[in-house]
Amino acid sequence: MRRTTAACTTVLLALVSAACATSGRPQTQQAATDAPATLSFWSTGGDDETAIFQKAADLYHQQHPNVTIKVQTLSWDDAYAKLLAAATSRSGPDVISGGMTWTIQFGARGAMVDLREHGLDSLKAQAQPAQWESAVSPDGSVYGVPLDMSTLALYYRTDLLEQAGLDAPPKTWEELTAAIGKLKAAGVAKPYSQDWGNLDWIGYFNYLYQAGGTFYTPDCKPSLDTPQAERALAYWVDLYREHGAPTASVEASDALDTGTALVVGGNWIAKGMDVNKPKLKGKWAMTTLPAGPAGPTTFIGGRAIGVTSFSRHAKTGADFVRFMYSDEAIAAIVEEARKRNLPYIPPRPDKVVAASSFTPEQAQVFEQAFSTGKAAPGCPGWDESAPDVSKQLQSAILGKADVRTALAEAAKVMRANAG
Amino acid sequence: MAIPLRGRLRRYGTSYAMLLPFLALFAAFLIWPLANSLYLSFTTFDGINPATFTGLDNFRRLTADDRFLHAIGNTSLYVVASVLLGTLLSLGLALAFDGPGWSHRIMRTVFFLPSVTSSIALMLMWKWVLFPSDVGLANTIVSWFGGGAVAWLATPGLTIPILVLMSVWGGMGYGMILYVAGLGSIPREYYEAAEIDGASAWRRFRHITLPLLRPVTTYVVVTGLIGAFQVFEAVYIVFRGTNSVGGVLDSGLMIVPYLYDQGFTHFKLGYASAIAWVLFLIIFVLSLVNLRLGRAMKEL
Repeated sequence: MRRTTAACTTVLLALVSAACATSGRPQTQQAATDAPATLSFWSTGGDDETAIFQKAADLYHQQHPNVTIKVQTLSWDDAYAKLLAAATSRSGPDVISGGMTWTIQFGARGAMVDLREHGLDSLKAQAQPAQWESAVSPDGSVYGVPLDMSTLALYYRTDLLEQAGLDAPPKTWEELTAAIGKLKAAGVAKPYSQDWGNLDWIGYFNYLYQAGGTFYTPDCKPSLDTPQAERALAYWVDLYREHGAPTASVEASDALDTGTALVVGGNWIAKGMDVNKPKLKGKWAMTTLPAGPAGPTTFIGGRAIGVTSFSRHAKTGADFVRFMYSDEAIAAIVEEARKRNLPYIPPRPDKVVAASSFTPEQAQVFEQAFSTGKAAPGCPGWDESAPDVSKQLQSAILGKADVRTALAEAAKVMRANAG
Repeated sequence: MAIPLRGRLRRYGTSYAMLLPFLALFAAFLIWPLANSLYLSFTTFDGINPATFTGLDNFRRLTADDRFLHAIGNTSLYVVASVLLGTLLSLGLALAFDGPGWSHRIMRTVFFLPSVTSSIALMLMWKWVLFPSDVGLANTIVSWFGGGAVAWLATPGLTIPILVLMSVWGGMGYGMILYVAGLGSIPREYYEAAEIDGASAWRRFRHITLPLLRPVTTYVVVTGLIGAFQVFEAVYIVFRGTNSVGGVLDSGLMIVPYLYDQGFTHFKLGYASAIAWVLFLIIFVLSLVNLRLGRAMKEL
């Protein structure tokens, strides 16, 4: 028995020491820049989105015949884990796209190329300022740049608003609550709901900035324990507790279809509404979110694109990323997106109306939102804090904590994670 | 007298050689990852940079991590409820449908189906059933009885009951099949003898069926326990929010989804490995206790 135990211990120790002998990270040797190259671009999204980005890749190939770029789909559900596996094994894609903060997180661990080395910080002049800031690391490294933009809009049922005697959608917080009251009085059972960001920090984000608050100060100090943050949360909580906004998230198009009069939803909803909900055709419209006491800020999201540090073709990859900001690449992507009825808003604000796949009227609403838009904080510790912040917001909405306590708790977690 | 090494090799060499492919795969895909994960649990490995050894830090942090403790609490509640209900219902179904007739076979097939269906597909189905507003199946049924739309997935108090319901519904068919096999192995003579002695149906069940099904019960409980502790898809697919795996107020946060979140969303693979080893120890100890209890009861 003793011999068996000793043998088992020895084997285990040997295995553990072998496991400990993990080697360091080797530098990736770069291929000659003029040699024929095939680059792999892992694009997070659907197959249709892969197809639209492949159009830009094909155009790049036409201009650089010795470079071929193959775009592959990563579904949102498992993209992050697959990219982490690729980064761990230092093999896989040359170019990646995904959530706005992903490239920062991979970059901070040495898995992405700092695109400043290839002069891509010059793209800042073309990008939406807040979205650019959100894509840049706190130390200034540019591990990824925005690939597209997304935002929120207020969708509304024109017939139900008319029924309630409202001739225009609400433009301010006061008008929103007044409109909800009128809709209720007119017999509309579901006056208001929120799709993207319901019970979540993204939903609160809009009210916070509209009240003049922020998650962090410009030097990344948590700033949720402020009167502005309290005012925003009190108003948001009232929308649920006083005005009956549902805590369950229903996609904006389904909500409108089942009789909700005013719905806050993502820009992509506008693209598919007439196809997915033909009965709603002519009965819905959209506008920007109601403005708060400090103005009309709206959340900006989107995807970031960057080059992996284990790519043998970093220079070509960076050149392709730059190419994605060119007029011709955007035109090729938009043309294909229109053919496939896909939502696509380029990362350049000057192109939102001129070259997005939306109708000019819809694009104008988004352009207005982007002009005052803010993006997610890129401060250290935000990703770790976000679930706890949402939990505190939920506590306030569900009546488990008062507004001030919930925000103080959220700020405490953010401070602890800020390091 | 021991056979010399040479003799042993001659005698068993071919057998060992034939075992080699299995042993190589076993070592590469089980022993090696296990050892690696044990080592990583003592480091701050982020998945990309070389691991830094930090001793027991990860385990110490776990004891003060509110979300992990919350996940343990949620998981314990879920395990007790789902294993208890699942076992009782499996036995009930087996007693109801253990006959050789077609109707019983069809019913057994119907209840067994969820066990062989892809769990992802099942969870997507549940998501549709629990869909909020009045378009989901559950709310449609509630509306038939005049009820208003229920926020099934956004009401913290409903999260664990829903997860238990999903687990029991999906797993009771498998337990039923095991119990049916167990029932089939009980000699009919015992029942005949008991009947002649005038034992009631309840007494026959209490004193013949239940004791003789003890090995099956132990198996159903132990495998149910292991499965329930490792619940993942149900939480990840049905209750995942925009940025959190635990649903509203973390009401559905369980150990494995939290492990996944820490390891694969926040790059804390060392910390996630520590969670995995704590989970292993919990399951190991509970399984031992269960097996020992099963044996002790048999000896009574």
